[in-house]
Amino acid sequence: MTSNENVLEIKNISVCFDGFYALTDVRTNVKRHTIHFFIGPNGAGKTTLLDIICAKTKPTAGNIMYYPEGREPMRLTGMKEYKIVREGIGRKFQVPSVFVNLTVLDNMILSLKGHKGIMDSIFGKPSEEELKSIDEVLEKVGLLDKKDVRAGSLAHGQKQWLEIGMQLVQKPEIIMLDEPAAGMGKPETFRTGEILKKIKDECTVIVIEHDMDFVKQAADTVTVLHEGKILMEGDINDVLADKTVQSVYLGRGGEK
Amino acid sequence: MNKLIKKQGSNICFGVIAVVLAVMPLLYSAGLMNSSTVLFLGKCTAFAIAAMGIDLIWGYTGILSLGHGLYFALGGYAMAMYLKLQSTGGKITDFMHTGGLTELPLAWKPFLNLPLSLIMVIVVPAAVSGVIGYFIFKSRVKGVYFSIISQALTWAAYSIFIALSPYTNGNVGITEIKSIFGSIKGESNKSRMFLLFYVALAVMIGVYALCKFLVGRKFGKLLIAIRDGENRTYFSGYKVSSYKTFVYVLSAVIAAVAGAVFVNFNGSITPSQMTISYSITMVIWVAIGGRGTIIGAVIGAFLINLCEYNLSSGAMVEIWQYIIGAVFCITILFFKGGIVGFVKDQLPEMIASRKNKKAKTEKASAEKVKA
Amino acid sequence: MAQFISTLFNGLSLSSIILLTSIGLAVTFGLMRVINMAHGEFVMIGAYMTYVTQQIFAAVFPESVRDIYYIVSIPVAFGTAFLLGSLLERFVIQRLYGREIDSLLATWGISLILQQAARSIFGTQGVNVTAPSFLQGGVTVGGCTFSYNRIFIMFMVLLCLFIVWIIMYKSNFGKQMRAVMQNRPMAQCMGINSRKVDNITFALGSGLAGIAGCSVALLGSIDSTVGQSYIVNSFMAVVLGGVGKLAGTVLGSTIIGSASIFTENYTSSTIAKAIVLLIVIVFLQKRPQGLFVIKSRSLDE
Repeated sequence: MTSNENVLEIKNISVCFDGFYALTDVRTNVKRHTIHFFIGPNGAGKTTLLDIICAKTKPTAGNIMYYPEGREPMRLTGMKEYKIVREGIGRKFQVPSVFVNLTVLDNMILSLKGHKGIMDSIFGKPSEEELKSIDEVLEKVGLLDKKDVRAGSLAHGQKQWLEIGMQLVQKPEIIMLDEPAAGMGKPETFRTGEILKKIKDECTVIVIEHDMDFVKQAADTVTVLHEGKILMEGDINDVLADKTVQSVYLGRGGEK
Repeated sequence: MNKLIKKQGSNICFGVIAVVLAVMPLLYSAGLMNSSTVLFLGKCTAFAIAAMGIDLIWGYTGILSLGHGLYFALGGYAMAMYLKLQSTGGKITDFMHTGGLTELPLAWKPFLNLPLSLIMVIVVPAAVSGVIGYFIFKSRVKGVYFSIISQALTWAAYSIFIALSPYTNGNVGITEIKSIFGSIKGESNKSRMFLLFYVALAVMIGVYALCKFLVGRKFGKLLIAIRDGENRTYFSGYKVSSYKTFVYVLSAVIAAVAGAVFVNFNGSITPSQMTISYSITMVIWVAIGGRGTIIGAVIGAFLINLCEYNLSSGAMVEIWQYIIGAVFCITILFFKGGIVGFVKDQLPEMIASRKNKKAKTEKASAEKVKA
Repeated sequence: MAQFISTLFNGLSLSSIILLTSIGLAVTFGLMRVINMAHGEFVMIGAYMTYVTQQIFAAVFPESVRDIYYIVSIPVAFGTAFLLGSLLERFVIQRLYGREIDSLLATWGISLILQQAARSIFGTQGVNVTAPSFLQGGVTVGGCTFSYNRIFIMFMVLLCLFIVWIIMYKSNFGKQMRAVMQNRPMAQCMGINSRKVDNITFALGSGLAGIAGCSVALLGSIDSTVGQSYIVNSFMAVVLGGVGKLAGTVLGSTIIGSASIFTENYTSSTIAKAIVLLIVIVFLQKRPQGLFVIKSRSLDE
């Protein structure tokens, strides 16, 4: 049991690909029930950081502690990715990756929390309640009428929504979104922001995004990464006012 | 009506095949067909069983095993060893004598007993595939890497079976055996042959029902999910390697059951059934019939074997190899869905586009008339 | 000691043949994500070409110059395999880019056709080539006999390897090839004709397999399945070495070749196959993508 206000503690993470340091000694905490943005220019190491949290990439040094609500804390480093997902950390990838040959509904059913064993998948069936929660999420992301459509035939933006929906239906503690607004128009992006604000009551949201309006709309905390290091961290106004941040990132057209 | 065909198409199709097979022995009784054809159709049911297993692992899960011949043969050998001991009355066989053995080797002892033999038909391939699958899938070897390993596995097992000649009769294999119900050759044993034939048919129907059940559940959707996005499936919280091992073992066991059925009709088993090329032949059936549909596997197995049966005698032998090579290659290149995919997806599309065209030209000509 | 050295020698000579066949496999897999199951048939074509060249020389030329048939057969085998490889790429392979498993199956169909063609032309019985007189016999050093033909094969492979290295890492074409391998769309944007690069690379790989066929012809009888017996080892070498880097292929082939000869020498050829397989599986537990990998960012390719 822990009353720690941090849900994630990233401790001295470094990662090295063939002699090139993608991340150097990154230290930061993610607070519970906040929307935490990671921003920074291309190659700053944002995606790599998410990769490390969900165990797609192994860190060269450092570790990550996870404090789920009402449960024992655990060390994520060294855990298998499917276990991390089961512990409640979901992730949407930069390139939409949904199961193209399955229907929207099937995609959602596969993402439901629990029931991940073989026998369960053969003999189990989603309960009424779970089907209802799927409908609710689909309603939220605007795909309810596309329930029986093959996911591969959705438009790019709809695939993004579906993937976000797949994360939501897992009822995660932490949801990580890599560029959720990419390929979305202004109104859609705004809607995404509003949805994120709504779901932060139930979970913690980590987002990578370039769209500064979106960041302003939704962010509680912003961490700026640059060349694998943390440049600064704070609330959005501090970050916008910071001279260094302006010169390495915002000055290049981050703020329109 | 149309909707019914669309939804139940494959079950209807399978029902038709099963009924047609079921009347074959009656045709033979009526003198409209010779016994070798019925025996051959019996072998085809075995092939169809094996093909359904391949479809589960390759068509649905996207794992191409070039080594299912090994499991087919393991099941076949287990059955054949029992049948051989039946014919020798439990004494050691001639080839063991020749190989310098004086008493029945321990590995053969379980096959004195029918229930135990039937258990071995399933347990041995399940154990082999389980161990291999566990280590390979755990280390996340996938795609062609897995195919290459499975190919090497078959290759190694083949040479081991040949080298262990006192136990396996090497190249010659286990021959001169009767079926599980006794001799099925000749007019006087007709009823036994029928019994065997209907048992084989029942096994095929059972396997079909099992496969259809599995792919209809969430399990089947997961197999497709693994095929289309293995990593995504991991990141949805599934231990993909367990699923892969499970489906690998399952399809291996199905292949082994097929092998055991096959031996009963064939009256012998040789190591040539566990070669790479035999393994790929089974994949060819599924590819041409239509992958990822179960029914396609059945159709492919029957169709190709019937063609081969009728074509590959005499001067046609050479041409058959060209035909099957070319058809297989063309199917993979242009008709990914095989026959079933063509009928279900490509054909309606073609008809629709032709209709469209027709409508357009009619419209155009109508406009012309107006003008 | 003497036995060790001669085993090592045999191991290296097998490795060198495996190397010649696996370069083509590894490079085409790295470049186009295509596995060519008919690659072994190019070895067979090379071997039969050696036989054909020998027959023509025996029929046309006087006894005294017949020996040079083998020297002539090398470019003949390379040329034939190169040409057929180019055709195969043009009509079949290019439709299969990125469809790894489908490519494996479709080329198996090709392999069936090529094998049957060999049986139709040359019969089902194996044929033999006589090693030219200058390759008969061997040299004995300290109790070990090194046969000339194996020495010749090794030098020929070294020469081929050197040429391939020049092409891949020193020539303009090689630069284009590596560019396409690493990032195809980007290379295309830079004005590289990736179609041409693919075609020539595939043909070169096939040609090398043809040369491997020349060496195989010296070592035993030739029939329609001669390629198959070498190709399983070559595939394993590719799995072990990873794709896209010449060094990986060289290392993979050496390990597979030596391992199979050594275990064969101390046990039997049967157990050797099983042990080599075991080595590869154990190795893959540690590095599932082979020794050398090109990294990529996408989740599911």
